[in-house]
Amino acid sequence: MSDTPLIELRNLTKHFTLSSGLFGRGKVVLRAVDGVDLTINRGETLGLVGESGCGKSTLARTLIRLFQPTSGEMRFDGTDIAELDERQLAPFRRRMQMIFQDPYASLNGRMTVRDLVAEPLEIAGIGDAASRRARVDELLARVGLNPDHATRFPHEFSGGQRQRIGIARAIALNPELVICDEPISALDVSIQAQVVNMLEDLQDEFGLTYLFITHDLSMVRHISDRIGVMYLGKIVELAPNEALYRAPAHPYTQALLASIPVADPTARRDVVPMRGEIPTAIDIASGCRFRTRCPFATDLCTSAEPPLRELDGGHFAACHYADRVMARQMEVA
Amino acid sequence: MSVLLSVDDLRTSFFTSRGEVQAVRGVSFELRPGEILGIVGESGSGKSITCMSLLGLLKANGKVIGGSARFEGRDLLQLDERDLRKLRGDQIGMIFQDPMTSLNPTLTVGEQVMETILRHRRISRAEARKRAIELFELVRIPSAAKRLRSYPHEFSGGMRQRVMIAMALSCDPKLLIADEPTTALDVTIQRQILALLKELQSRLGMAVILITHDLGVIAETADRVLVMYGGMVMEEAPVRRIFAWPSHPYTRGLLASIPNLRDGTHQRLTPIPGSPPDMRRPPEGCPFAPRCPNAMAQCVSALPPIYEVEAGHGSRCWLHHAQAPRVGGINEAVPA
Repeated sequence: MSDTPLIELRNLTKHFTLSSGLFGRGKVVLRAVDGVDLTINRGETLGLVGESGCGKSTLARTLIRLFQPTSGEMRFDGTDIAELDERQLAPFRRRMQMIFQDPYASLNGRMTVRDLVAEPLEIAGIGDAASRRARVDELLARVGLNPDHATRFPHEFSGGQRQRIGIARAIALNPELVICDEPISALDVSIQAQVVNMLEDLQDEFGLTYLFITHDLSMVRHISDRIGVMYLGKIVELAPNEALYRAPAHPYTQALLASIPVADPTARRDVVPMRGEIPTAIDIASGCRFRTRCPFATDLCTSAEPPLRELDGGHFAACHYADRVMARQMEVA
Repeated sequence: MSVLLSVDDLRTSFFTSRGEVQAVRGVSFELRPGEILGIVGESGSGKSITCMSLLGLLKANGKVIGGSARFEGRDLLQLDERDLRKLRGDQIGMIFQDPMTSLNPTLTVGEQVMETILRHRRISRAEARKRAIELFELVRIPSAAKRLRSYPHEFSGGMRQRVMIAMALSCDPKLLIADEPTTALDVTIQRQILALLKELQSRLGMAVILITHDLGVIAETADRVLVMYGGMVMEEAPVRRIFAWPSHPYTRGLLASIPNLRDGTHQRLTPIPGSPPDMRRPPEGCPFAPRCPNAMAQCVSALPPIYEVEAGHGSRCWLHHAQAPRVGGINEAVPA
């Protein structure tokens, strides 16, 4: 196995230009992804968390080139795919697949399960009808569906089963990277664990690399090796998962983790709710983008944007006071 | 102790082209004044339909087919639409998951809050406006007087939920029904709204029924918990008890399905196999039997009653029967 990371993003941006005003003459720029540096290693699960509007889904969609990046580098196994045209992109598309939140919305309701799972194989021109049929049966068995499910339609399945169909489609072409965009958010608690365990098994079996996007901070800790925290288009903290939960170094991460409702009525609750609302990615504050909600913000935070810097062993944070935040020595401003 | 709401054997069905869906199949519970009752369950468990039945807000094809719900000396299930309208927004407030669908997009939020107040109180518009400002301040909407003139779309999700709470509290209800009030919100905003709800509940002394699928929200907010599955109450207990000593295999399964945030180890999750029952053909016996690791022949053929495993702690499981085999943690000696 080569040492080249599977994914390397360098200052990746994706901006959307929106019209504003009554006649749409004004233009505003939504900085959905606003300078992301990120490496994903082979075989790891990188969790990406953040609240709505932080850009995590846009980042994923840009990565598989559903969106054309505005600027920056996007290396897949060493090759920059940011500027490739469709034909050049085709071999890479096969190597990265996506699992969506709502499998019902992403499955064509008029196709049988067999056709749905065979579709990626057909598009890629793999095998003949008979071998594809055998491959579909194998995939269905692998995700825990029966062969007699193959002739049914998506509406005949529960949410968990539909997600299994979505997973079978995603792994049909033996991809290296699977982007899981909120894959369990729409599922019931008892079903979530089934799907998470299956994703873990598939990773072990096929050596998959996962980018796991979620707002569920409990599940992301369970499944990830490393976790990136996004806020308004930027990664503000990146760390091995235990380091992140044990010693969060960005005030936003601290607030986020403290907000998780814990399924233990005896747990201490001395959380001060974070003030304010999430701003939009249209008017991003100068300096540190979190300063408008940060309890520790100083003048420095207004004038200078803190870079994402390494604190120790793979633990990065974009805060001028990260060391003191991590040691919980900051005074509320 | 006095009881504010007493629901007895509530049954609700939906009549669809594909047959009768038995959404609620005999739900009973009591709610005391000032208490927060959490109802937890997965989709299709009947938790929302239970509350919609009480409020008379079922869709056209839904019908309460049995039971009673006594609130302040009256049976809610026997009231006509006129009396229910009087009650809703007055003595019983409600908030839902998506405030945008409950607000009228063409009216300012101020007009909508005032309308609710004026519908139930004989006061002038000026007084209603004053009350609306008070309510906005109560739920901590900044620059309250100015924000009354805003339209719903000008608010964020969290602020819209605050508007809904203000509206629900406008007539000092004795009971607030909150159906997944924070499910659509981000976690930091959820934290703000839950803190607000708890604070208002203790300040105003109202009772709350909080419906959620999130065990964390239940643990942090509720005093007492009902666990619903297959249109029935499977377990009922004070909140500390349900987490410390879950007695029903379904409750135990739910708790094993979620990652333990305090435990750093990557312990494999224990899912509940299978999927919830089809309520058009609910199982004859225990609805959880087909997925239950402890199911016996008896469980498939007959519905277990609710056994009181401890004062105030009930569990609908045959394993609590005196002659049932001993299963670790479920029916062994229960510490008080």
